[in-house]
Amino acid sequence: MAVPKDMNVPAIKVAKVPPSGERDDHANPRSAIAMFLLPALLVYAAFTALPVARTLYNSTHLVVPNRPPEWVGFTHYIELWTDTIFWKAVWNTLTWAAVAPILEVSVATLLALALYAKVPFSRFLRVAWFTPVLMSYVVVGILWMWIYNYDWGALNTMLRAVGLGDWASPWLGHPDTALPSLIAVTTWMWTGFNMVVILAAMSSLPTEVLEAAELDNCGWFGKLWFVILPLIRPTLLNLVVLSFIGKMKIFDLVWVTTQGNPLWATETVSTYVYKRAFQWSTFDLGYPSTIAVIWFFIVMAGVLGLTLLFRQREKLEY
Amino acid sequence: MKKAIILGTVLGAMSLPATAQELTLWSHWADQQAKVEFVESAARAFEEANPGVTIDITWYQKEPLYAALKTALTAGQGPDIFYAETDQTEYMANGLVLDLSDKLNWDAIEPWAQDVWGWEGGVYGFPLEAWTVETYVNQAMLDEMGIDMPVSGAEGQAFVEAVSKIADAGATPMAQGVGDRPYPGAFLTHEILVKKLGADDYESLLRGDGVEWTDPRVRAGLEYAKSIIDAGAFPASFSSIKLGEAHRYFHTQPGAAMLQMGSFYPSRAFAAPDEGGEPDSFELGIVNGPIPPDAACPTCKTIAVGGSFVVNAGSDNTDLAAQFLNSMATPEMGNKWLEANLVQTGIVADPSAIEGENAAYFQKLAAANEGAEYTYGIPVQQMTGTARETFTQVINQAFPAGLIGVDEVIDMMAEAY
Repeated sequence: MAVPKDMNVPAIKVAKVPPSGERDDHANPRSAIAMFLLPALLVYAAFTALPVARTLYNSTHLVVPNRPPEWVGFTHYIELWTDTIFWKAVWNTLTWAAVAPILEVSVATLLALALYAKVPFSRFLRVAWFTPVLMSYVVVGILWMWIYNYDWGALNTMLRAVGLGDWASPWLGHPDTALPSLIAVTTWMWTGFNMVVILAAMSSLPTEVLEAAELDNCGWFGKLWFVILPLIRPTLLNLVVLSFIGKMKIFDLVWVTTQGNPLWATETVSTYVYKRAFQWSTFDLGYPSTIAVIWFFIVMAGVLGLTLLFRQREKLEY
Repeated sequence: MKKAIILGTVLGAMSLPATAQELTLWSHWADQQAKVEFVESAARAFEEANPGVTIDITWYQKEPLYAALKTALTAGQGPDIFYAETDQTEYMANGLVLDLSDKLNWDAIEPWAQDVWGWEGGVYGFPLEAWTVETYVNQAMLDEMGIDMPVSGAEGQAFVEAVSKIADAGATPMAQGVGDRPYPGAFLTHEILVKKLGADDYESLLRGDGVEWTDPRVRAGLEYAKSIIDAGAFPASFSSIKLGEAHRYFHTQPGAAMLQMGSFYPSRAFAAPDEGGEPDSFELGIVNGPIPPDAACPTCKTIAVGGSFVVNAGSDNTDLAAQFLNSMATPEMGNKWLEANLVQTGIVADPSAIEGENAAYFQKLAAANEGAEYTYGIPVQQMTGTARETFTQVINQAFPAGLIGVDEVIDMMAEAY
């Protein structure tokens, strides 16, 4: 360490202070920050902010080709209020978004625990359970249409083989079973993904906490309930929120399998927006935009609600 | 001076007529080889007759085509010519397609096909494909069961009893499926109602501008359809069977007695057996659908104009586009279409001139249409918006699947207007 000969003189020579403009470039590089942010901001503005603003604008206009947009006020919003198909779609989507995350995260937690406990063939099972999420919704949809086929589908074939032929059903063709059948598909598809994330969270738990619990004669269930689950709670809640958002937007699977049939039993808000935008013998983008706007606020309210509901007031420390 | 010469040269070059012109065409039928070949060969012939002209055709499946067109046309772009169907009145309503009234050779187009494309005084489409709703029968199966199905259509209770007899024998009476289309499940109800009400009143019912769904005649027609459905007309897997699968279900595996289908049936069924076509030994018959009691028009049936071409009103090549369509509007091309595609066309053609292995099919088709009075377009081509969507969900699917009864049908359809 260098010791100054004269204590009044600093060991390091202070650089000469540049003029104010030059100083801004180095000490407070706003232009550099702007340069780094600009590309991302431009992309965000072009592909997120502008479409959102345009959708809001469209929702209060009649938007058809060869004519300037015509202001219609809140006509679309009033029409939407009495649109029974829309509310059916809202109900279906909310049901899906409420049920599927609970199923996915619950089953995934059980599977992750099994792998955490090192059950036999755990390496194979980890890959096998994760595989469905690697497939696209289109492939999954076709696969499950075969499984649910009334005549030769695997599900009905198994039911008939074990003497439960009376339970055989056109699973996607009946209003009572169509939506639950599709919820089962998304659960099958996403459970593996949730399992891997939960397993990662479990694997990173501090061993000293778990060992301390064991020293306190904490049983397996007690360790799970009082130690493991509280510690991975943030991970579980994030997965619930992610799953909720995913189900609120679901489109592909429904489009491939049922297109909202039968009797709108599987209609979701996304499929209804598509139908209104592209299959309704009209070019008007105003009404579909209105649905999108309303749904945006419903999704946002849902996410905020979940965040508030699951907010952890006391942070766990270990 | 030098600058003036250069400017003059540039302006002169700009004012020269273009020596090369490209027409763009977007069409459905990507997976229907015979139709692709027909249009492609017409395009190549037109190019040969018009040196310097090229026709660039892009083939799509129907849904992606419609989505692409909607985006392109909204942006003021799109191809010169594109595929459209008669229910797409939004093209006319928004001035996106050209009025072809004085551009096509209408003498070579069937008058009914011209009417179907009429809209507010103009005529907008070149009706390439047309089809009727037919009841195809497995003649050997019916003969084996001792069921006589007249070509003019079985009347009243006779059809219900035939369906019951087939179902009781463990066979499927009608191999319908609605897995991927909004209309095949509605054929039964639709054809019954058109016969029950007559063409004019039925069209009024669909448009919602006169006859209502609460009309006693409509109820009687629906109750007749319900008696056929309850007799076990459709397979349990009705909701998931796709159009192509319904064909195979009917003629090959597991086999059914009847299939109500558009007369585009041969485009799939007349393929080689190992490509999903009928077995060589299959005995195909064609009859009319069931005639309800007290039918106002027992000979009424549906003819639909299917795939058509329209000209983009914003195109820079509208005259050339119309010339290309006109090159297909000849009786020779009409017959060529029939022979290649085995389905009717809006171009004037002579099915009796068809020779060879398909001549017998066209004779049966002609017999089934002898004396027919047509309504133009299946319901989903005549309806729009919520009424169309409700019809698709209710009459096409839930009602024939046995999920709802006549009262629910009437309530839901009445509310949809």
